[in-house]
Amino acid sequence: MEIKIRGLKKRYYSEGKVINALDGVDLDIEANKIFTLLGPSGCGKTTLLRCIVGLETPDEGEIQIGDTIVWSKEKGIYVPTEKRQLGMVFQTYAIWPHMNVFNNVAYPLQNMKLPKAEIAARVAKTLKFVQLEGFESRPSTRLSGGQQQRVALARALVAEPKVILFDEPLSNLDAKLREETRKELKTFLGDLGITAVYVTHDRVEALALSDTIGVMNAGHIVELGSPKKIYFDADHQFVADFIGRANLIPATITEQGEAYTFVDTAVGPIRCQKRSFAPDDELVLCLRPEFIEFGKVEGDDVNHLDGTISQMSFVGEMYETEVDVNGIRIMTKLDPMTRYNEGDRVTLNVKAEQCLLVSK
Amino acid sequence: MLKRERNLTYALIVLVSLLTVAPVLMLVMGSFSNSLHSFGNFTLKKYISVYTDPMLFSVLGNTAIFVVGSAAFATILALFLAYLNTRTDIPFKFLFKVLSVMPMMIPHVLFGVSWALLLNPSNGILNMWLMRAFSLSSAPFNIYSLPGMVLVEGLLDMPIAYLIIAPAMGSFDASLEESSRVFKSGPVKTLMRITLPILRPAIMAAFILCIVRALASFGVPSVLGMPGRVYVLSTFIYRVITVSLIADYGKAAAIGMSILVISVGLIYVYRYFTRASDKFVTVSSRGFKPSVVQLRKGKIPLFIILLLISFILIVLPVLVLLYTSLVPYVMVPGKQAFAAMSLQNWRVVIKDPISLRSLKNSLFLCLVGATVGTFLSVLVAYVIVKIKSKASGFLESISFLSFSFPGIVIGIGFMWYFVRTPIYATIWALFFSYVATYLPYGIRPMTSAFVQIHGSLEESSLVCGASFATTMRRIVIPLLVPGIVSSWVLLATMFFRELSLSAVLSRPGTEVLAIQILRFSEDGQWGRLSALGLIMIAISIIMVAGVNILGARFKPGEVREKRVKVESQPLKATS
Repeated sequence: MEIKIRGLKKRYYSEGKVINALDGVDLDIEANKIFTLLGPSGCGKTTLLRCIVGLETPDEGEIQIGDTIVWSKEKGIYVPTEKRQLGMVFQTYAIWPHMNVFNNVAYPLQNMKLPKAEIAARVAKTLKFVQLEGFESRPSTRLSGGQQQRVALARALVAEPKVILFDEPLSNLDAKLREETRKELKTFLGDLGITAVYVTHDRVEALALSDTIGVMNAGHIVELGSPKKIYFDADHQFVADFIGRANLIPATITEQGEAYTFVDTAVGPIRCQKRSFAPDDELVLCLRPEFIEFGKVEGDDVNHLDGTISQMSFVGEMYETEVDVNGIRIMTKLDPMTRYNEGDRVTLNVKAEQCLLVSK
Repeated sequence: MLKRERNLTYALIVLVSLLTVAPVLMLVMGSFSNSLHSFGNFTLKKYISVYTDPMLFSVLGNTAIFVVGSAAFATILALFLAYLNTRTDIPFKFLFKVLSVMPMMIPHVLFGVSWALLLNPSNGILNMWLMRAFSLSSAPFNIYSLPGMVLVEGLLDMPIAYLIIAPAMGSFDASLEESSRVFKSGPVKTLMRITLPILRPAIMAAFILCIVRALASFGVPSVLGMPGRVYVLSTFIYRVITVSLIADYGKAAAIGMSILVISVGLIYVYRYFTRASDKFVTVSSRGFKPSVVQLRKGKIPLFIILLLISFILIVLPVLVLLYTSLVPYVMVPGKQAFAAMSLQNWRVVIKDPISLRSLKNSLFLCLVGATVGTFLSVLVAYVIVKIKSKASGFLESISFLSFSFPGIVIGIGFMWYFVRTPIYATIWALFFSYVATYLPYGIRPMTSAFVQIHGSLEESSLVCGASFATTMRRIVIPLLVPGIVSSWVLLATMFFRELSLSAVLSRPGTEVLAIQILRFSEDGQWGRLSALGLIMIAISIIMVAGVNILGARFKPGEVREKRVKVESQPLKATS
């Protein structure tokens, strides 16, 4: 089921100040795909999710899930949360501590007043799906973090909703478990093929799980696209910076060539991936450390930057290395077995197609 | 939904105002009236007569010594015990837990009586024994004195101070002390220069709360002060309404006003210190364990002191009462006394119509009062925690109003209030005044219970398709059970031994247990008093234990595993 959001606004009043949590959001979420809302805390992503599920009431706009308008200011429609037939996994999991695993998972079915035998069968099936067979009678207080997460997922799935919502479901797990659970979740969601809306502030989660990412900032959706589009081809400095490590250097266009756009920067003239902008846009050159190579490589499509290694930090899988180019410190990576040392004069290569111009 | 919440808030504001604001207003107006029957004719006569009473000067002096002395004693003792428990390797640490819940079991008036039985100048058991052993011509101790009252009240208020100081001391960030040790301060210097100054807000809060409690205290001043004609403000009020031929409630209200003002002022200071202590004490969530001081040589003597305090607070009162209930008149324990032992006092008490009536009344007030009080507390706590508005903030302040009211003073307010209603001199007068005065004690556990129910537990129920009513029934109420149990137990034990409100409002026919104990004490009926007192303690203990066992069965965990057996059956049938 697709979700259509039009002109959604939500304001909060805090200490006499107005906060625009949602500042006119328009969004189409494709059916049967995984859609991620990514952004820093306070950007409005959780508010948007809570508006979809009905736990918050927007001030203006319209939300449509499938063919049903669940909220509309103009038409005066409000479908309460319990009638929207959605599944949701909460950040805190919200597993009820006074119920066992069976009752937690059976709860949505019990509210649908299904026969007991059918409830039992569907709970068993769902628990099997999340690999918690035989956990029915386990008190929910005696579950590990990962198991709680899976109970929450089972509860969200058991009624077979057309849409499932995730509110930062992995943020309460420790780093290692988070990685494992993320992979599991990808498998589960892949197998299900239902519409999923996933809220996170973790870029790796967003990149790994999503079909489409919507990057949010200050109550707006700044950019929308596939993980690769967001990573390689961001249009805005905010998105480029948020989705990965980036050297951001102010730039001005000197020439629009046939294959490249030529810019002038503090590290010298650079040829970039071709892009056009409005004349008064302020531009920033985005160089990702992972695309910067050491040593001189000749070629038309390669930019060369000469500098000195100013700092090397050994962090295990690499050296985080900073190279001073014309007084600008460029973040790069070096192989952990490298022979370079601090103070070495080096030449950096960046391919033009990996020099991304973004607007400020 | 919103409208329903607003209606609930306003309904509760009206109800709670009738319970807590009304008696205060009546007290104020009563203090400017001539008598109960000429209410509303403004006069300053009562104030003039009270504040020019020559006796008042000595009463104020006694009160100051009693209140400050007992609070200081309680705080220092609590500090000592808290330090032993949280910072040293003293054995048998469970004793501290027992010591901190002790006052819930033994009513203050009985604790006071047991000391009177031991150390009163005419036939105190310990005094008689000492006189005989050392051939003294007069009793060496007189508990019917200010020092005696300070000692006993201090022991009784110690747990309050302990419950404030111990958590602050236990959650103390040890690195603050360790850094002092690194800079070459010894353990004693570190305690004096670092630990105690950082804990000062908590210590001050404990001290002030003890002052408020001692100011409101009526049990100890009545059984230990009045026989020796040592009056403090609370017993002075009691004297004004009982001893003279015509009870003067206007005069009582006029004295009460000054206690009320002092008490409310002190609670403000207390709030200031508890706020400051939240800021001050560096509670760390990262699992810092305060460094434990090895007691070494001091371990055994300190442990003996701890045992002695536990004995004095828990075992001694019960032993003294038990012994006294079995002997025909007060005598030194020995062959003669054991030969004279019988159940005569017990037989008399269980046939005494007034004692039985007071037992019946107290049980009714305790069971029904605590149930109604808990129900009201649930609603008020719900509004305070879950509905955040100006009106709910107002409800919070009027609900906690009675926290700072001494029972005997607010009792005078209720007297002015109820005398104008048909419930005057009925059991309902006691009922409503109990619920109103002890409401904060019911609300406290409920607000923390509500705070613990994270909003997402209710929200996820809605997402799962449950209606508001289902969410309440299946999610919210079951999670509240532990809070409901502690509210109920707290209210029930307080109602069961209530003394100071009842001293004003109880009438023939509406006697309660504590009042009957006070009567026995005034008449010197020590044997009957002890028998009735022991019955009272036994019922308290059974009640607390019973409700806790019942509550534990409904606690998350146990119930689940019981339910599982029933509900996993259809599962097996289908799979």
